[in-house]
Amino acid sequence: MNKPALYLSASSTISHQPTFGNPGFSAALGPVETSSVLISPDYKAYIDAGLLRRMSKILRMSVACAKDCIARAGIEQPDAIVVGTGLGCLQDTEKFLNTSLTVEGLLPPTSFIQSTHNTMAGQISLSIGNHGYNMTHTQNTLSFEHALFDASMLLREGDRHVLVGAADEHIDMLEDIAARLEFKAAAPLTSGASFFVLSSENGGNANAELTDIYTVGGTENRQEEIDAFLDRNGLQAGDIDLALYAGAPVQGAVRNLDYLSLIGVYPTASAFALHYAVDVLGANRDVRNVLICNALRKSNLGLTLLKAVEA
Amino acid sequence: MGVCITGIGVVSAIGMSVEENLNALCEGRTGIGPLRYLQGTKASLAGEVKASNDDLRKALNVGTEYVSRTSLLGLQAAREAWGDNKRSGVIRTGIISATSVGGMDRSEVFYKDYLAQNNPDYKLLTTHDSGSTTERIAKELGITGYINTLSTACSSGVNAIMLGARLILQGTLDRVLVGGSDALSGFTIDGFRSLMIYDDQWCRPFDESRAGLNLGEGAGFLLLEGEKSLELTGNTPICNVSGWANAADAYHQTASSPDGKGATLAIENAIRRAGIGLNQISYVNAHGTGTKNNDHSESVALQNVFGDRIPPFSSTKAFTGHTLAAAGAIEAVFSVLAIQNNLIFPNLNYNMPIVGTGLVPATQLGTDLEVNAVLSNSFGFGGNNSSLVLTKYE
Repeated sequence: MNKPALYLSASSTISHQPTFGNPGFSAALGPVETSSVLISPDYKAYIDAGLLRRMSKILRMSVACAKDCIARAGIEQPDAIVVGTGLGCLQDTEKFLNTSLTVEGLLPPTSFIQSTHNTMAGQISLSIGNHGYNMTHTQNTLSFEHALFDASMLLREGDRHVLVGAADEHIDMLEDIAARLEFKAAAPLTSGASFFVLSSENGGNANAELTDIYTVGGTENRQEEIDAFLDRNGLQAGDIDLALYAGAPVQGAVRNLDYLSLIGVYPTASAFALHYAVDVLGANRDVRNVLICNALRKSNLGLTLLKAVEA
Repeated sequence: MGVCITGIGVVSAIGMSVEENLNALCEGRTGIGPLRYLQGTKASLAGEVKASNDDLRKALNVGTEYVSRTSLLGLQAAREAWGDNKRSGVIRTGIISATSVGGMDRSEVFYKDYLAQNNPDYKLLTTHDSGSTTERIAKELGITGYINTLSTACSSGVNAIMLGARLILQGTLDRVLVGGSDALSGFTIDGFRSLMIYDDQWCRPFDESRAGLNLGEGAGFLLLEGEKSLELTGNTPICNVSGWANAADAYHQTASSPDGKGATLAIENAIRRAGIGLNQISYVNAHGTGTKNNDHSESVALQNVFGDRIPPFSSTKAFTGHTLAAAGAIEAVFSVLAIQNNLIFPNLNYNMPIVGTGLVPATQLGTDLEVNAVLSNSFGFGGNNSSLVLTKYE
C-alpha cells in the first residue's frame, strides 16, 4: 500500500541541552554531561503564572513545547493531541504517595490530580481550549513511537494537523532505584520533552517527511525486523545516510550516532531523536534518509524512517 | 463486515468470569462491600475482586511473585476473551490494554518500607510502569508485535477498544485483544478521598442524594477480528464495534463541564460514526460514577443529544464500583451481554431524580425489549471523554 506523505511542520524540545527555540542545534551538539541540568525557558511566556506554580516539571515542559510548536506551525488548533510517556508524572506520583503514607486527615488533592499519565495531554487541551481527539500512550520505551503511529493514523483518517509528543521527567529517587536494580544506563538519567506538529500537507514550513513507523514488542530478531522494514520501504541499509540509535548501531548505514549520548536516558528519548533528525534534514542537503532505531529496551524495537522534503 | 467482537472476558467484584458477572447483573447482586484483601486503607466500601493475589497466581499458573495485581486481573479476563484461539504466523495479532494505576499496588508496598527504611524490596518496582502490565499479559498469552498501553484515566478502556478497531480498519492488524485492567490501591482510594468524592456509603448513580463513588477493581477484554482473521479462525461474531469517538472537554483537570460539552461531542460523534439514527440506540450504559459532578454533566449531555427521547439507560457502577481504566472495557463486555441476551441492566440504589435534569434510569432488569445497539460512555480526568457504539452482528 502506498501511504500518503506526512510532514513535520514544527518541532520543539526542552532537555538538558540547548534544544529549545534553537533551530540548527544539531550541528554543534556535544555529549550530555553527567552534571547537566534541565535547561528551562522562561515558562511565564507560555503558561499562566497561577497555573505554573502548581505544575510539575513534566507538565511545564510539555505545555511550553506544545504551545511553541503550535506557534511555529502557524496553526490555530491541532485536530488532535497525542502524547507518549513511559513513566508519567513521577514527581506528583511520588509526592502523593508520600503524603498518603505520612499525613493523617485530609490530604491536599493537587498532586493526586496531576499524577495520572494523561495530565500532559489534558493540560495542553485545557491551555489551548482544544476539544479534539486526546490520547495518551504509555508503552515503556516505545511510548513515543505508539503516539506517533496513532498520529499518522489520524492524518490518514482525515485530520490535517496533529500535535504529537512525548515527555518523561527525572526524579532523584530514580538514581537510587537504578543502582539497586543494577540498571546500567548508557548515559546519565535525564528529563526531556519533545513535541511536533505532524501534518497531511506541507504548508511550506516542513523540514522532513515521516516515511514510515513501526513498533514491535517481545522481539528477538532485531536485524531481521530492520531489514524487513527497510525492504518494505524500498531501501537498503546503505541508503540510510544517518542512523540514530539507542542500543546497537544499524549495520550498513552510512553514519551511525548514539542519540542517548547526546540527550541522556529516559523512556521517550526517541522523541528527541526525531527532533534531531528533523533538524539535520533541515540544515544538511546531503542527508536524504534518516532511520531512528530505538532498542533502548532490548525486547522492544521502534523504527522511524524520515526523508528530506522533496523540493 | 467491519470490526467484529468474537470473544469476551471479564473479572470484577461481581464475578471471576462472564457467566458469574451476568448472573449477578440479572440477580441485582452487588459486589461492593468492606475490603477483605487490600488492608490498611480508609475505604469503608469498595468493589474488590474476591480473590487474593496468591489465588490468582495459582489459578493463572503465574510463577513469579513479581507481578502486579493489575496484570493478574488483566490476564484473567484476557485469557477468557482469547479462549482457545491459536497463535498464527499469518494473522497479524496485537494487544492493547488500558490502565491508570499500572503496578501501583506493588509500588506502594515498596514505598512504605522505603519510607520506614525497613529493608524495601526494590524488585517490586519492576512492575510499576503501566506498559509492563501489558507486556506481562502479552508474554503469558504468547502475543508479540503490536503491544500497547493507553492511559487516559477513566476513559482508557473505551479508548483501547477504539484504537483496536481503527488498527483493523486501517489494515495494520487482523485481530487484536483489547481491554483494560486496574487493581485497587491505597493510592487511588486516598486520591479520590482527597477530592472528597469517595462515598463512605454505597454509591447511588443518577440519584439526587448521590455523594460520590466507590472504587472497584477488575478487568475486561474483548477479541476484535476483521474479515481476513474471521476467514482463517472461523470464529462466530457476537457483535460489531460500530461507532466510537474521543473528545476533550477542555474545562477542568478533574471536573466535567456543566454543559457537558466533551461528553456531548463524544456521544454524538460515536453515533454518527456508527451510521445509525438516535432512535436506534436501544440502551445506554452510562458512565454514572455517582459523583455530583459526573452524573449531572452526563445527564445534560444525554439531553443535549437525545432531547426528551433518551433511551433506557443505567450505570452498572453500583454493582462493580468504579474500576477506572478497566471501566470502559468491563462495561463494553456488559454491553455485549445486553445485546446477546436482550437485557437492560438495573441502576441499583436509585430513588430520586436529579433536580434540574430529572432523568430516571432503568431500575429493574429489562427483559422485554430487543437490544440491537448499545451506547457505552466513559469520561475521565483530564477531560478525556469517549463513547462507544456496539451493535448486533448482522
